[in-house]
Amino acid sequence: MTSLVEVSNMYFHYPRAKIAAGDVGWTLHDISVAIRPNSTVGIVGESGSGKSTLIRVMCGLLRHQKGSVKFDGREVSEYEGAGVNDLRRRNQIVFQNPRRSLDPRMTIRRSLSEPIRALQERNPDDTELITSIQRVGLGPEVLSRFPHQLSGGQLQRVGIARSLSVNPDVLYADEPVSALDVSVQAQVLNLLMDLRDQLGLTLVMVSHDLGVVSRMCEEIVVMRHGRIVEAGRTDSVLAKPASEYTAALLRAARAASLERSTAN
Amino acid sequence: MLQLRNLRVAIDDQEIINIAELDLQPGSRLGLVGESGSGKTMTAKAIAGLLPDETKVSGSVVFGGQNLLELGDRELAKIRGKRIGFVFQDPARSLNPMMRIGKQVSEAIRLHTDLKGDAVKAKVIELLRQVQLPDPEALVRRYPHQLSGGQQQRVMIAAAIAADPELLIADEPTTALDVTVQEEILRLLISLSEQRKMSLLFVSHDLGVIRFVCDRVAVIYGGNIVESGRIEDIVTRPMHRYTAALLAANPGMPKDDNFSAYIGKRLQTITGSVPAVGKFPSGCRFRNRCQHATESCSNAPATSTVGQEHRYACWNPGNGGR
Repeated sequence: MTSLVEVSNMYFHYPRAKIAAGDVGWTLHDISVAIRPNSTVGIVGESGSGKSTLIRVMCGLLRHQKGSVKFDGREVSEYEGAGVNDLRRRNQIVFQNPRRSLDPRMTIRRSLSEPIRALQERNPDDTELITSIQRVGLGPEVLSRFPHQLSGGQLQRVGIARSLSVNPDVLYADEPVSALDVSVQAQVLNLLMDLRDQLGLTLVMVSHDLGVVSRMCEEIVVMRHGRIVEAGRTDSVLAKPASEYTAALLRAARAASLERSTAN
Repeated sequence: MLQLRNLRVAIDDQEIINIAELDLQPGSRLGLVGESGSGKTMTAKAIAGLLPDETKVSGSVVFGGQNLLELGDRELAKIRGKRIGFVFQDPARSLNPMMRIGKQVSEAIRLHTDLKGDAVKAKVIELLRQVQLPDPEALVRRYPHQLSGGQQQRVMIAAAIAADPELLIADEPTTALDVTVQEEILRLLISLSEQRKMSLLFVSHDLGVIRFVCDRVAVIYGGNIVESGRIEDIVTRPMHRYTAALLAANPGMPKDDNFSAYIGKRLQTITGSVPAVGKFPSGCRFRNRCQHATESCSNAPATSTVGQEHRYACWNPGNGGR
């Protein structure tokens, strides 16, 4: 099957990153990863491993310096002019902290309309916004509220609705539940799984929680120090990690997790 | 060593906390678990006397034979930070960004011990070594932003144990950290508590983390302790429906490496969300979110005991209450 997103031998560094002789100080180093349509991929690793940077390069928010990043068969650099909006519309991100990613001075109605106005250059009507907010399990009364009037779980639902309002092909979720309580996490994760199935989304999820990734993602990419340590089917990688690093991550995750049979 | 009896906390006549009974044994590690808004941090703050002035607190918090709620500010100052230490969630916000690490730790030592001069310096190094920070001599000259999140939390722990407290209260100390760093910090807290015979009150929303650290757990909802007991009893045989729901909502890790059967499995959720203060139902506070609620639940449930020290307050418990 052809890939929707295809990254090959890609290198990235932030502007003005330290450049020593012979060492460019790459933030991402020789990354190759392919994402099939309708698949769910988990990207795991510690803070500073480059996982959030990687998804920003994949969706064209950051420009890589070497190698290739293709979306739907074309280099992301080829999406220019009107094409940029098309690239942005089809690749959407949900961020970790919804309280910080929504403008506190805007009503939810306004926040929810912004991507449609910016990327599709039209004003959505109330019917469309109500459908969009109901899809994530919230009521229409939310539209006239401000972010400070909503709980963390509700705000993350708004963040998801906002990303989905422009009908993307790929939804990138950057630690979407790590700022939430365990019980609210479960609601948001189930919602993401339902929406993925209903809308036929490709889901790329950055998470440090192996319990979450092992439930939601059929494929996993393990990163460390800007490189891919290991990648493959989640069940085979986690059941038999090839790298010592993945094994160490697993041990740490297992130590402080509830072990459970798969009955529920 | 710590006994809470009929602890009530209210703001503007709204009752936030009502704990009939909660005990922490010497050297024991007690987890306090619940969702945001369940009252767990409020309870920790009430014990520490860190609640704002407008709160009304009644009942008793007996620590080392004294009711902390009856002490004046000067007497409380001899206990707070000295015999009871604190570690909070976000070390980057608890540390002073303008102050070198050595100074931050030595301030705690000067404030809570009689040490002076070179003895303070030596104590700083000793404490940084006890929290397993590498090269303490160089570290004292650094600023917080030069340290990783895990190292910052170790510095906070070093300052918290400066005066050899009998009790350490840790409020979500690893929530902001990576899994591998989390495990290291949790292991550090366990070993400090064992070496120093220091009791630990560990506040978290994650029963997985609490099971790793604690021998006992109390589950709090709507400001009430709904279930308490030995951690293994609670995790394997929860009685209160809220405890069972919290356990089921936890993503966990699959048993016996059976990852293939885990994929695509939905999580069990708890219906609705924690009500705002004053919006909890009468009787059992959880009944409007509980799938097993019966008519009896509109009356306050009595506390039942099962096995050893396993207490719960539920009209329709799981496992038939046995």
